[in-house]
Amino acid sequence: MYQGNEIVFIASLLVLVSIFFGSASSRFGVPFLLVFLGFGLLAGESGPGGIIFSDYQLTYTIGSAALGIILFDGGLRTNFSTVRLVAGPAFVLATIGVVGTAALLGVAAYFALDITVLEAFLVGSIVGSTDAAVVFFLLNMKGVTLQKRVSGTLEVESSINDPMAIFLTMACVELIRLGQPPETLTLLGLFAAQMVGGLAIGVAGGFLLVALFNRVPVAGGLYPIVAMAAALLIFSGANFLNASGFVAVYVAGLVLGNRRHRGAQVILRFYDGLSWLSQIVMFLLLGLLMTPEKMTPYAIGGGIVAFALILVARPLAVLICLLPFRYTWREIGFISWIGLRGGVPIFLATIPVLAGMPNSELYVTTAFCCVLASLTVQGWTIGPVARFFGLELPARPEAPTRTEIDFGDPSLDRDIASYRVEPDCPALGYRFSELPLPRRCRVITVIRSGAVMDRSKLERLEPGDFLLVLAPPEQFFSLDRLFTARRMAKRKEQGRGDEVFGEFVVSGDALMGEVSALYGIPVDEKDRNDPIGAFIRRRLRRAAVVGDRLRVGPIELIVREMRGGRISSVGIELEPEENPILRGFRRAFGFD
Amino acid sequence: MEIFQLLSPDGVVANLKANSKKQALQELSARAARITGQHERVIFDTLLERERLGTTGVGNGIAIPHGRLPGLDKLYGLFARLERPVDFDSIDEMPVDLIFLLLAPESAGADHLKALARVSRLLRDKAVCEKLRGAESADALYALLTDSPASHAA
Repeated sequence: MYQGNEIVFIASLLVLVSIFFGSASSRFGVPFLLVFLGFGLLAGESGPGGIIFSDYQLTYTIGSAALGIILFDGGLRTNFSTVRLVAGPAFVLATIGVVGTAALLGVAAYFALDITVLEAFLVGSIVGSTDAAVVFFLLNMKGVTLQKRVSGTLEVESSINDPMAIFLTMACVELIRLGQPPETLTLLGLFAAQMVGGLAIGVAGGFLLVALFNRVPVAGGLYPIVAMAAALLIFSGANFLNASGFVAVYVAGLVLGNRRHRGAQVILRFYDGLSWLSQIVMFLLLGLLMTPEKMTPYAIGGGIVAFALILVARPLAVLICLLPFRYTWREIGFISWIGLRGGVPIFLATIPVLAGMPNSELYVTTAFCCVLASLTVQGWTIGPVARFFGLELPARPEAPTRTEIDFGDPSLDRDIASYRVEPDCPALGYRFSELPLPRRCRVITVIRSGAVMDRSKLERLEPGDFLLVLAPPEQFFSLDRLFTARRMAKRKEQGRGDEVFGEFVVSGDALMGEVSALYGIPVDEKDRNDPIGAFIRRRLRRAAVVGDRLRVGPIELIVREMRGGRISSVGIELEPEENPILRGFRRAFGFD
Repeated sequence: MEIFQLLSPDGVVANLKANSKKQALQELSARAARITGQHERVIFDTLLERERLGTTGVGNGIAIPHGRLPGLDKLYGLFARLERPVDFDSIDEMPVDLIFLLLAPESAGADHLKALARVSRLLRDKAVCEKLRGAESADALYALLTDSPASHAA
């Protein structure tokens, strides 16, 4: 009884401390994951905490369930159009890319660690896949907004590449234990079953869940609980059937997130917290599991492998995989660099441990070194590297500070919303009496420092004022823009502003001939009557995403906005830097 | 390309009165016509044509309307601070109160681009804009525009 209480006490304390650290700011990203790892180490047997914990089986179980939750959350938040954009390259990265990384790394491990070829390939396989948990966490951090093609590729890749790494790891373990290769066909069949089974179960589970939500009413508060239980059920169910639980749970999240269903908002909000908690639990556990003293003999070799992974294996594998897909060198460079590793390699390292293989500390240590190096070296540099490669976009406008009151009677066609007026919002530029309110909207009252203001005497709004607005629901979007700070205003504090898109803007419908006349750029006669959007699209020779650049004569055209698959707004950079390296450094360190 | 090569002191207006984007452009066209000797209507139409392709309100209360005119002998700049900000369909939807107008001859290819880039870089500097908004007179504005540290930094 006492023992059980102690566990509850420590666990809840750790979680509370972690969350308060976390909500202080999620901006620091990597250091946070490292902080949890550090907490775990401190609480563990080599630290002052002295908790003896070496249950690999339990770590594997909890860790993979946590990863399942994170993948489900990732799926929920991934737009299907993103998946369509990057499905091909992501799939190649998740299969050939993992094999390539594992093989290249195997060579490095063979020389660095003084082990057999098979063992070296096992090391490569263990750290072969990128980690969805870390990728989703770090790429969606506040402060960096990435071009969709690279963030999408990295996210989808990381969501579907674990089966390949697991499969390679299992295969190597079997080979080493049995001393003979298992049937290649059986192995391939197993892998196909993992992928296809995972996909099928995910799609079926996702649609079932949508139907369930829309047909069977449950109490509002239970929606997220249902979603959590269902995610874990799909995950473990798929594993039972020898399909990939990781793939299944990600695909189920994808289906649910892209379909209309009840409780969508509540579920998303709940998963916000839940995936955060899963991260914490995962890294705490990994920290607990690690015993630094036992790792020291392998640390140097592990470090060498880690840097071979970051500097050679990942970049080469990515290059080979992405060349056929018309990725630019900037995109390939970024995706090569951001090969984030997280919990998965450490879980995979427990497989040889559980199989009772010799040298088991070597696998755990190497995996740990790779994860640590990846989190610090790659994780910490996402922002500067994204700027270096010109792949950072202006920060999205902040979520509006709006709270809505829904009267629940559709015939009213009006809702009341409250806004807190933000510094730098467009509304501050106008007199109160001249506010450009959308049609049928009315400001009911303005509250400043707790006092209701006399509207007839109010000259201007001030940041921090509270407004109650009566408006038809469809107008809230316009109101949000009026009272929310725009991205341009925040460029110094958070990431880059609109200067990413060059000096000037033209509509995607502007004809190339007109733009050419205006800026004196050379354009072929046959292109003159083309809208600039269509022209860019054709020259890029691939689906365009916001941030894509096209050099035309002395200037650069930049896709600024997409609407319904068309390029609706184009930025013009008048003096693009000629030297890409120089330009990269200027961007990375904010000189331009 | 430096600002003083584009802008003369009589091309700076400290408190332009305008109630709309169109009116601001009209006022500026009239002044540009006096300085360049071109027809006001032609200038105005050129500017409107550019706005039709996409706003030149680049955000933070700044607009840089521009265009090319066949009869011009060199690049001409005009700067106006509006008495009251007007809606300019800016990319950040903020009303505009600082306008730098740039007109280029048909022949000025690279120079036109350089001048535009120069003006845009100058007005992206928030400290400069802050000072421009606080300046007392047209002379003070001219001094800031042509002599601000940022105009040497490039």
